[in-house]
Amino acid sequence: MKTTLKFLGVTTLCALMASASHAKVTVLGWPGGPEETALRAAASMYNERADVAEEDKVDLLFTSRDGFFDKLQVDLAAGSTAFDANLLATYSIGKYAPFMEPISLSDEAGAVFGGTVLETMKFDGAQYGVPTDLSLHFLYYRTSLVNALLADDIAKARYTKIALEYLGEALEPKSPEEWTWQDFVANALYFTQSINPDSPTRYGTVIQAKNLLFNMMVFHSWPRSYGADWMDAEGNITVDSEAYRAALSMANLLFKLGATPPDSTSYEYAEANAAYSAGQVAAMVQWNAAAGDLTGAQPDTGTFAPPSGPEGRFTHIHGLGLGLNAAATNKDGAIKFLRWMSTEEAAIAYAVAGGSPGLAAETAAKLSDDRPDLVQSGEYASTYGFVMNGGTSGNALSVYEAQAKEFTGFWAGTQDLDTALGNATEAMTELLK
Amino acid sequence: MAKQYKLENAVLASPTTFFLLVILGFPVILSLVYGFSETSFETLRSPEFSGLNNFHKVTTDDTFWQAVWFSFRFGSITAILECALGLALAVYLAPLTQKNGWIVAVLIIPMIVAPAMMGLMYRLVLNEFAGPIPYYLYNWLGWSPAFLSPQNVFTTVVLAETFQWTPFTFLLFLTAYRSIPQEMREAATVDGTRPWRLFWKLELPLMMPTVFIAAFIRFIDGFRVFDNIYTLVGAGPGGSTTSMSIYIYETFLRRGEIGKSMAAAILLFAAAFILLSFAQRLMRRTFR
Repeated sequence: MKTTLKFLGVTTLCALMASASHAKVTVLGWPGGPEETALRAAASMYNERADVAEEDKVDLLFTSRDGFFDKLQVDLAAGSTAFDANLLATYSIGKYAPFMEPISLSDEAGAVFGGTVLETMKFDGAQYGVPTDLSLHFLYYRTSLVNALLADDIAKARYTKIALEYLGEALEPKSPEEWTWQDFVANALYFTQSINPDSPTRYGTVIQAKNLLFNMMVFHSWPRSYGADWMDAEGNITVDSEAYRAALSMANLLFKLGATPPDSTSYEYAEANAAYSAGQVAAMVQWNAAAGDLTGAQPDTGTFAPPSGPEGRFTHIHGLGLGLNAAATNKDGAIKFLRWMSTEEAAIAYAVAGGSPGLAAETAAKLSDDRPDLVQSGEYASTYGFVMNGGTSGNALSVYEAQAKEFTGFWAGTQDLDTALGNATEAMTELLK
Repeated sequence: MAKQYKLENAVLASPTTFFLLVILGFPVILSLVYGFSETSFETLRSPEFSGLNNFHKVTTDDTFWQAVWFSFRFGSITAILECALGLALAVYLAPLTQKNGWIVAVLIIPMIVAPAMMGLMYRLVLNEFAGPIPYYLYNWLGWSPAFLSPQNVFTTVVLAETFQWTPFTFLLFLTAYRSIPQEMREAATVDGTRPWRLFWKLELPLMMPTVFIAAFIRFIDGFRVFDNIYTLVGAGPGGSTTSMSIYIYETFLRRGEIGKSMAAAILLFAAAFILLSFAQRLMRRTFR
């Protein structure tokens, strides 16, 4: 009995000592993928710094990606003290802001990230997070297919014939850097076997059109280039516009003519990438995070910003970042870590470890050997990046949800365009009032 | 004697009763409070009473009725298919399973897989570019149906559910079939009854209570379907694969309309309760 008691006592003491040496700032990160690897590397570097007190060292917490934001919402609303700092995203800042506290970044943050990127972590003028990863969209295309088309007069003539027949315009093939959305559609039709039996790919493009909010983010660079916005300056919902009608109708043409896989109304990121990687798709618009996978699967892949429209060329941007939980038990420690994360030292460590921070040109240039893609994404974000009016509101996610439901319904043929836009307007009016 | 143990019974039952009250009672009370309140994530701890407002919102929401219709269709069709298939398998394979018990073990494997995993598995298996089924269909026939296209998605999810849960009805029917006294079959056979007539006039009527219970359980399970559909196709384009459970989940977590989602859950509970009472009465009348 005495031996057992001694054993229990020693075990408890060891456990207490072990927990005393544990990190005291708990950070809830974005699980899986390069973001987790990068955050682990940055946290490790921070913990090794001599000026970081033992009680301010960082411990990382990761849950599952599936339903992450739903779980985070519940945790924050319940005043969870399980973490001191947590992930946040541009489109959900407004939702989490009531349960978080604004932070101040390091003096060099502006020079490291640039104003546009810092803006993705602001809500109501206050800085709620330090940006870690920047997401935007690239146009991915197979250079070998485009080059072959541009070099073949017979193929060019067929391309023009197809464009005239389906789009009513005698378009000629162009280099993807010059594509408008009309060219994107014409190219997709030309490379679709059901329209052009000689096409080397089964489908000209793939549109990920599952009823999922993230898919609306991929789509909405298209209406934006036609001048679309969610609201006007007076706060009126403007989704039922010629811009949205034009983009939705053009995308619908791709579904109707079979230029995107017939079950792409159930596709999300992984399925769309699988289609492209299988070599059965000629071009697609996809997140920048897919660059490695798609280029690895199809080495002749070229990338550029999404096609342009009458109002210019645009790409949706949003950031992931880390912010301060209002219920944090070690607020001071968390603030110190977040402040350090906004320094150049942290941003470079994060990028080298595989993260995708949106960096200002000068900082990105320092990484041009290790991460040339960051130079490109930084350039596109600052030149073509946009956030819809209302895109950081508390209900921004719900707006995407509502659009996803209505627009995918239109593409799937379960409702007409007027109904889809009418329902979207009604839902957005309620959500953004 | 009974009086003597009354106190002991109460004491022994109290931990379980307390546990059930906490585990089941608390969420029920909370759901009722939220169902009649204007609540969001910001006001979880201070809900404002709003009467029947949430119920009005739910019953005037087209998506809710779309979800009710989807769940009803899905529950009915899968229950009928699973019972028909399960019955056919149980009767047809009865002589074989009598001698080879391992066949039953093999047939119930799909039931062991978690529905969410089943959805993910079909998402991979049916994918045009990564899935083996479309791959071989393209190789052999030069064509493959788009299993998850808007035209085919309902059939696909119905078949996926049927394949997973037919083993459940099969097990129930096999047990019921085996419990029919052999003497009755022998007597009927001696009287010259042919196998088909034996099934219709003797075996099936004796198995009917089990068939009824199986159909009812499968309907309820199909009506509240969530995991496999959600992981396979989500809410569907235009909400076309939104079941009642998916509607409640999305309203609660995605749109943050807690009161409305609770009102929908209460309506679902009430409908299930009424249906259950009705089914119980019907069963008592029919099979007493």
